[in-house]
Amino acid sequence: MKLYFSIFLALLSSVIVVFIMLPIAATIGLQFQDSEAFASALSDEAVWKSILLTYYAALLSTLIAVVFGTPLAYILARYSFPGRSFIEGIVDVPVVIPHTVAGIALLVVFGSNGLIGKFSPVKFVDALPGIVVAMLFVSVPLYINAAKEGFASIDVRLEHVARTLGSSPPRVFFTISLPLAIRHMAAGSIMAWARAISEFGAVVVIAYYPMIAPTLIYERYLSAGLSAARPVAVILILFSLFVFVVLRVLVRGGDVSESES
Amino acid sequence: MKVKILLAILLAFLILGCMSQTDQTDHGKATVTPTHTATQTVEQQKVVLKVFHAGSLTEPMKAFKEAFEKKYPNVQVQTEAAGSAATIRKVTELGRVADVIASADFSLIPKMMYPDYASWTIMFAKNQIVIAYTDSSKYADEINSQNWYQILRRPDVKFGFSNPNDDPCGYRSQMVIQLAELYYNDSIIYDDLVAKHSNLKFVEENRTYVLKMPKSEDINPDTSKLMIRSMEMELIHGIESGEIDYFFIYRSVAQQHGFKYVELPPQIDLSSTKYADFYSKVKVVLSNGKEVVGKPIVYGITIPKNAEHRDYAEKFVKLIISEEGQKILDQLGQPPIVPARADRIENLPESLRGYVSET
Repeated sequence: MKLYFSIFLALLSSVIVVFIMLPIAATIGLQFQDSEAFASALSDEAVWKSILLTYYAALLSTLIAVVFGTPLAYILARYSFPGRSFIEGIVDVPVVIPHTVAGIALLVVFGSNGLIGKFSPVKFVDALPGIVVAMLFVSVPLYINAAKEGFASIDVRLEHVARTLGSSPPRVFFTISLPLAIRHMAAGSIMAWARAISEFGAVVVIAYYPMIAPTLIYERYLSAGLSAARPVAVILILFSLFVFVVLRVLVRGGDVSESES
Repeated sequence: MKVKILLAILLAFLILGCMSQTDQTDHGKATVTPTHTATQTVEQQKVVLKVFHAGSLTEPMKAFKEAFEKKYPNVQVQTEAAGSAATIRKVTELGRVADVIASADFSLIPKMMYPDYASWTIMFAKNQIVIAYTDSSKYADEINSQNWYQILRRPDVKFGFSNPNDDPCGYRSQMVIQLAELYYNDSIIYDDLVAKHSNLKFVEENRTYVLKMPKSEDINPDTSKLMIRSMEMELIHGIESGEIDYFFIYRSVAQQHGFKYVELPPQIDLSSTKYADFYSKVKVVLSNGKEVVGKPIVYGITIPKNAEHRDYAEKFVKLIISEEGQKILDQLGQPPIVPARADRIENLPESLRGYVSET
């Protein structure tokens, strides 16, 4: 019985793995038939500049998400208050909004004549801060939801015990809750970071320049065709594969039992 | 145990799902038999006609679609807008099937689609480049067709155009600004408006002015003066949100979106075949190596060789170049070419030959 079940699990799982792998493998495979274009893209400074910009902007967006999202996640996991489901709903909204619409909505707020943009000394349109807000908008729900789950999985009694022993609430938060939720937070940050890196629709509305990697790929496709865009896409895929596999391994850190939550 | 039951149920659903799928296809075949009602048969025959077109044709295409579907209720027209080059690439590179292709620059069709994907082009409409603005644009009450370049020169004015590498409207805007230098006898208009704020620059070569486009990522615009987007339609939200004061756009688009616009002298706005010689003094070499010489703006349409529904595609093109289509274009601020012209009449489907003259 056990064997059949394993086979059954493996069968269904492989369908979905193949579904994800096939397009990526085909893209990379096709590229290897044209290694010359791949080599020239590898040595193209603009490609690396755009990839680094993408990773950097996404990193900034993730840091902001962690700083402002962690308290919110903690509140949502620990306290029940009127309007909590409403706030939880708000947090999820960016996941549902089409990305171009998100970009236009952000332009209304952060554009030169926007609600905030009008007074801000920082310029958002066609500038790095614009890229960061677009990435933050689409990726922050992933972080908040993961961190919330982390805090919710902690036994409340641990916090209570610490408090009855005389620890102040901040101390409890920083020495008990945060360390116990850190894996969830790390996993959430990685997801949010990855999501930010992949964003195109919202970013391109508010900031066409400076060009992030997805914009550059689209641009190469429009001006020179598929054969010019593919090498850049392959570089982005391989680079991201490397970065995220390494991160996953680090976060797991040999602790397999983490998955029980 | 519970898990096993759950999985069993899941599996059962999957199998059922597959079976009902095959069921449906059986039904589909069965509709040919007369026992089924007429409505079902109509449903069955609903033809989807795919039209890929230039972004600036969005409004006319909507009107054509409406008129066509009224005439042929069993056809559903699906329109898809993109930059003209991207529109053609969907067929030539992505292997997608389109029944009709319409480009904002007719010459892209022979250049990119002949001989494998198409064999004829009908030129059916014209357009002209204008400078669009709104009431809240800076100096909106001052600008006119003689002082526009002085207004755009002012340091607090921001304006936009689309990326010349991606979009005919983009390289045409560059041509217009450079032609203005010749027309107004002011040799630094392009420098003041564009060259100073980006890596774009016209160079004189044997009495023609050539702009060699850098790669898109190297255009490097000063974004406090210029707004560049891939497609001209993407600049609309820039002007609506007050990000820019003016942008270069087709007259038809400006009119359809209710913008105010400055009409430029016909010597520079690429509207008139009369000034074709003058237009040809400017040239843009795109980053992919393609050269475009200044010429009147003429829209082209074709039916790709791999079109799925040739018969309806022909009828759709016929509607556009017929009197009815010409009227629609006219109303939307886009002058039709009357009668439409074709480059290779011998390759044209017979049903269309009566509507065109040869160039």
